[in-house]
Amino acid sequence: MAEADDLVAVEEVLQQLERISFVAQRDARAALPAIRPFGAATARAWIETARDLFQHDRESGKSFMRHSERLAEHTGVVEPWTAQSREFLQWVNSNYALEGFLAQADRVWAAWGEAGEREWFAIGLRWCGRSLADARAFFETPFDRLDGGNGPAGLRTLIEPAERLYDERGLTLDCYLAGAPMARNMVGDAGLLNWARRGADLLAAGRARGEAYFRMESEEGMKLLLEALPGYRGRTHGRFLQLLLRAWLEAEIPLADGNWKPGDGRPMLETDGRRLYLPAVFGGRDEAIVAVQHGAAHLAFDSYAREHIEALFRRAGTEHPPLDDQNRITWRPLFAPFAERMFRFQILFDLAEDLRVNLRMAQLIPGFLSRLLRIAAAHPVPDGPAGPYYRFALAAHRAALAVSGDRSPGVSVDPDAPETESGIDPRLRRMLEPDATVIDAWEAAERLFEDPAFPEIGIDERKEAYLPGLSLNAARPVYPQRLRDGDLSDFRDVGDAYEEHRFVREKQEEAPEQTPEGAQKDPDADIQLPREETSGSGGRIGVGIPQPAQVAKRGVAWQPRTGGIPYPEWDYREQRMISDWVNLNERVLDEQNPAAAETILAEHAATLKRLTRGLEMQRPTRMAPLRRQLDGDELDTESVIDFVADKRAGLSPKAFIYRRRTVQQRDTAVLLLADMSTSIMARHPGGQGKIVERVRSGMMLFAEAIDRIGDPFAISGFASRQRDQVHYYWLKDFKEPLDETVRGRIAGISGRLASRMGAAIRHSSRAMRRVASQHRLLLILSDGRPADYDDGGDPRYLHEDTRMAMKEALDAGVHPFCITLDPSGQDYLPAIFGPGHYTIIDRVDELPRRLPEIYLRLRR
Amino acid sequence: MKKLLNRLRGVERDVLESPTDADAPFYEPQADEIEIFRAAWTRRLPVMLKGPTGCGKTRFLEHMAHVLARPLVTVACHEDLTSSDLVGRFLLEGEETVWQDGPLTRSVKEGAICYLDEIVEARTDTTVVIHPLTDHRRQLPLDKRAKIIEAHEDFMLVISYNPGYQTVLKDLKPSTKQRFVGIAFDYPAEDVERRIVAKESGGLDDERVERLVAAGRRARALKDHGLEEATSTRALAYAGELMQAGLSPRTACRAAMIAPITDDPELVEALEEIMAAHFPETEPTTAAHG
Repeated sequence: MAEADDLVAVEEVLQQLERISFVAQRDARAALPAIRPFGAATARAWIETARDLFQHDRESGKSFMRHSERLAEHTGVVEPWTAQSREFLQWVNSNYALEGFLAQADRVWAAWGEAGEREWFAIGLRWCGRSLADARAFFETPFDRLDGGNGPAGLRTLIEPAERLYDERGLTLDCYLAGAPMARNMVGDAGLLNWARRGADLLAAGRARGEAYFRMESEEGMKLLLEALPGYRGRTHGRFLQLLLRAWLEAEIPLADGNWKPGDGRPMLETDGRRLYLPAVFGGRDEAIVAVQHGAAHLAFDSYAREHIEALFRRAGTEHPPLDDQNRITWRPLFAPFAERMFRFQILFDLAEDLRVNLRMAQLIPGFLSRLLRIAAAHPVPDGPAGPYYRFALAAHRAALAVSGDRSPGVSVDPDAPETESGIDPRLRRMLEPDATVIDAWEAAERLFEDPAFPEIGIDERKEAYLPGLSLNAARPVYPQRLRDGDLSDFRDVGDAYEEHRFVREKQEEAPEQTPEGAQKDPDADIQLPREETSGSGGRIGVGIPQPAQVAKRGVAWQPRTGGIPYPEWDYREQRMISDWVNLNERVLDEQNPAAAETILAEHAATLKRLTRGLEMQRPTRMAPLRRQLDGDELDTESVIDFVADKRAGLSPKAFIYRRRTVQQRDTAVLLLADMSTSIMARHPGGQGKIVERVRSGMMLFAEAIDRIGDPFAISGFASRQRDQVHYYWLKDFKEPLDETVRGRIAGISGRLASRMGAAIRHSSRAMRRVASQHRLLLILSDGRPADYDDGGDPRYLHEDTRMAMKEALDAGVHPFCITLDPSGQDYLPAIFGPGHYTIIDRVDELPRRLPEIYLRLRR
Repeated sequence: MKKLLNRLRGVERDVLESPTDADAPFYEPQADEIEIFRAAWTRRLPVMLKGPTGCGKTRFLEHMAHVLARPLVTVACHEDLTSSDLVGRFLLEGEETVWQDGPLTRSVKEGAICYLDEIVEARTDTTVVIHPLTDHRRQLPLDKRAKIIEAHEDFMLVISYNPGYQTVLKDLKPSTKQRFVGIAFDYPAEDVERRIVAKESGGLDDERVERLVAAGRRARALKDHGLEEATSTRALAYAGELMQAGLSPRTACRAAMIAPITDDPELVEALEEIMAAHFPETEPTTAAHG
């Protein structure tokens, strides 16, 4: 009976649907045959769901009916997903999420079973409750990308940080999912939360910037992840590697960051003929050393000599090698004739060429080949088509070792392969001769190319064919070099390369002409004005106020500012330094106010006069006579008389009878670093005017006072706007005299932006290293906690970084001392600077008088 | 009595004693420095020895003094060195003051070679007392005694001067410099250096000497990249001696050539890498390579 009722009900619903929409009725009829076998009741529930969804949202209904046939067939049930689909009725505009759900529900079911599918759905549904856009992102992301190969458990660990940060910071899943699966591959489940939290901070500071971070489009997102990768970091050990090149080749070969990413296969070094590009990590220290030395060998032994490359092009039938817009040679035309067998040829060519330069290098660097062979032997021989190439290269290098005369032990890895010259493949013999060139390598490769023993190989296996430390020689277009034959002493193209590099970058970044005011205020970092088209007639007269033609929005990559001085920053949450995190620019302060300078000096004339007496006492260059010394330049008459008298009196006095003059030097250099953030513009609490006026007076008196003592001193200020824009203003450099310009600058300071103190301290202590003084004092004048726009509201982050910067300064022989106007300073300053390394000036009015006094007290 | 005993034991000798006729200290000529010095000696011209630390300036002079059979009086200059320290001062002895000659005055009177080592370290007001000795006058005025001493005919003044790091803050006055005959020293050529290291280390075998010298020359390329002073020939000789005394080559190199000159961890790592390349952990077996 019930079944008949159900059948009738199905027909009724079909007719209802027909009345609403022909399409709906047609889709329902098309799907019904697949549903009916599950029973009339099921069919009724299904078609009612279809109708309700359709009435709720036409698109939802259509999706539901379109996917039903496939779902029924693949899952073998109808009930569960029908009921799940009904849940979407709770929300308006849930059709995209539903579509995403239906499109892969069957595959989830198949992969994770019913329980797994239910969990997947439940997570998605929770997101529907938060935001439909996020739910859509969740359901549309292929489920097997989310689980990291661990099934529902993997899914849970991936989503957990997102749920937490949604509540804490409002981080959307949509954003998070863009990079989370890849991030997890690199930092693991445990690191995911930190990664996402940093992203959320960035997102709060700027939407485009945060999104770029999550999409891994911005350098900062990638960089953080790369730093978490295990392996030997070329960047961290850059100086060591460079020192090695310096020692062996007596040349400065610049090292730069390559663009290797996880997932690109084996990390390899690349070169453009002017610098070596290191991947973020190497397999190990030995591999890194071999890679860098090998890369340098290519430069030293003419792999990229213009003459030879031109000869290669002539052989290939191209008269002039085509140069790109930066005068680089691209290799593609050379390999083009090999068409799809190009990779095969490339490997063989590199193999021959690598052998040639490695042998030359081995004669320069003892133990070079032994090391290469040692790591190559430890490396597993790759499976698949790359294997024969690898084994061939290994055998060839063993033979080269015998020729090189390298007597290092511990490399005889394969007793079957005799390490003699006769062990070399005859086709490669020419490579071992000292006058072989890259052209010979090409010819050898052509002969090897004929050999069917080398299997066809694709781009995916290509990198596996190389011995560790060796790399693709034609990975980048190269700047052709002159013939060097091992002599890199004039390897100076470096500077040009840098100039050129900068030139190219500047050209890309060139901002349109702005009025000077507009250029300085920088209304919004996210707005990028395109270059104006001013050619043709008319120009833009009458168009009105220039408006940003393109405002960054979703999909526009955020580019951090670069080109300044990079500084690391300490992240206490991860307990590590993040290298090159902060971008600091030195700027000249263009506001000057000489008139105000005179007013300030006049106002504080009395204070200055009082100070002057104290100052005279502390002049550093007075010759102080030391009396009653055991030895000295002259006799001290008085003590001689005493001595003689005592002696006559029968005593036995000690001969402290000389006088000596020495300079008593208080050799102190001081740098006053002022926090120039917005907060100093606040009104004076309880007095007239603003805090900044007292700061100006204080700095002015300080400058006058120190100038009279004659100690070397400098004054600077800092302000920041997120991590990539820390501005450092020199008000007076150590070498500058205290003149009208400097006074005008001091009188003209004003507050702007935030205070990222750590970077400023690091920069200051670097500047103080240039000063030759025994004692270096860094006075930090502050009015509040270190803070910045992108610290995610976590005050501890910049506190800890400042503390770290302070420690670094101490290690570098600079003594920081903080003077703060913040009455609550005792809450956090002891933790940052340590007890006794700060002082609080409660009354702002006292600052002008106290500032010079504090210095005089400290320098005693 | 005690003095006499010491003299007999050979611990103490007067600075002005002439060299005995035993062998001259070992010196391997680098270029024409011996001829220049001899020529300067025949005319008794003051000489300035220039060159980096540990390249053999002092040894050269000891050798020459021995060859010329003249006593050598060495004064190591330092910041607190005053002109009294060089010239002499009044001392109280019993109930009267007694003038005691400084080392320079004694050399001038008795015709020794006076060697002012690292003269830039001394203050400029100290160095001017040598001016009258370095020109045709060849006199030493003793202001405090109102006397002028004419130099002995065999007196010769030699200074050493290291134009390295310290010249940024300290340098000889041009008026002082131009009074001297200059002999420039540098680290010796590779084969010369090998002979020196072999001799100084007391007969280290050729193979290790060769590697040691090669490693040292590599390490020198790092000067000015964090190293203020490069690996000196003296350091190489020390390393050789340590090897002779039974240390493994790597340990000897670390002790003599790395640890003394830098604390910078990256430099240490780079230097270690250079040493390791020349001295692999286990001793090579030559038999394996026919």
